[in-house]
Amino acid sequence: MSGPTSMSGHDAIMAEAERIKALGEAAEREARDPVNQPTINNWLEAMGNTDPRWKAGEAPPSMAQVWTMYGQGGKPPADDPLHGMMKVLTEAGYTAVLGTNCEQEYHRTLKVGEHVRVTTALDSVVGPKTTGMGVGYFVTSRNTWYAARSDGTSEVVATMLFRVLKFVPKGAAAEEAQG
Amino acid sequence: MRTGDTIPTWEVPITPTLVVSTAIATRDFQDVHHDRDIAQAAGSKDIFVNILTSTALVERYVTDWTGATGQAGEIAGIAIRLGAPAYPYDTLTFTGEVGAVEDGVATIAVTGAVSLGNHVTGTVKVRVGA
Repeated sequence: MSGPTSMSGHDAIMAEAERIKALGEAAEREARDPVNQPTINNWLEAMGNTDPRWKAGEAPPSMAQVWTMYGQGGKPPADDPLHGMMKVLTEAGYTAVLGTNCEQEYHRTLKVGEHVRVTTALDSVVGPKTTGMGVGYFVTSRNTWYAARSDGTSEVVATMLFRVLKFVPKGAAAEEAQG
Repeated sequence: MRTGDTIPTWEVPITPTLVVSTAIATRDFQDVHHDRDIAQAAGSKDIFVNILTSTALVERYVTDWTGATGQAGEIAGIAIRLGAPAYPYDTLTFTGEVGAVEDGVATIAVTGAVSLGNHVTGTVKVRVGA
């Protein structure tokens, strides 16, 4: 990854990273449904979680992300920072993806009836790094979940730092990565 | 909750039903979590547990313990690093130990291991009161 071609590929990737980072929190979207007991119950059954607390109108903290999942056939909006950065790297030949870190913080539990929304920001792009999986870039994004207060203002209820390795699988030609 | 407390080991048999039902319950419809043919064509041995479920099982491991032992256990955060995939017919074995307890928050180190190595390593922050 030291020739002039790869350097320009790297420079182009990092320029795009800077542009997308500068968007800040973007691609805001609402959960399809409000926090609801049937969805909680399905989750509890699948996880084998029998904590009676979650049968009484509160959602387990780690369900925060569930409410804003895209669902079957759902796609990230074109202006989504993580999706945008992944596209840049895919086009540069870093076609494979692997989740490496997921760090969630919960400010409080969500209650049945609350309708959350989420934003996505690109936090950092670091690479190229040689890893056990192949050469790639670590892409870190940050999601922030909001709920409305009764006075109409918004409250952060949860955040997530999510890091993926976007890489050229071992065995694939290195030139592919240089776009 | 005190530094050095250990959480009893929990063994979770990974079945295709667990992988599929938890993926769908977390509204994650990526095919590698429910379609073995596609997962294998993409280079995986089989379908595998999704990240939301890894997080949820770490959460359950800690709250089952705090619940069973009558301790305060409001979960403030779960940070995991992902390693080996959790495939059906493997066993996901959780171990955990309480690290620092500071300012009303306990940090519990949790590891979830499968036959290929560690599936998750991370920390769970629990609000335990002042």
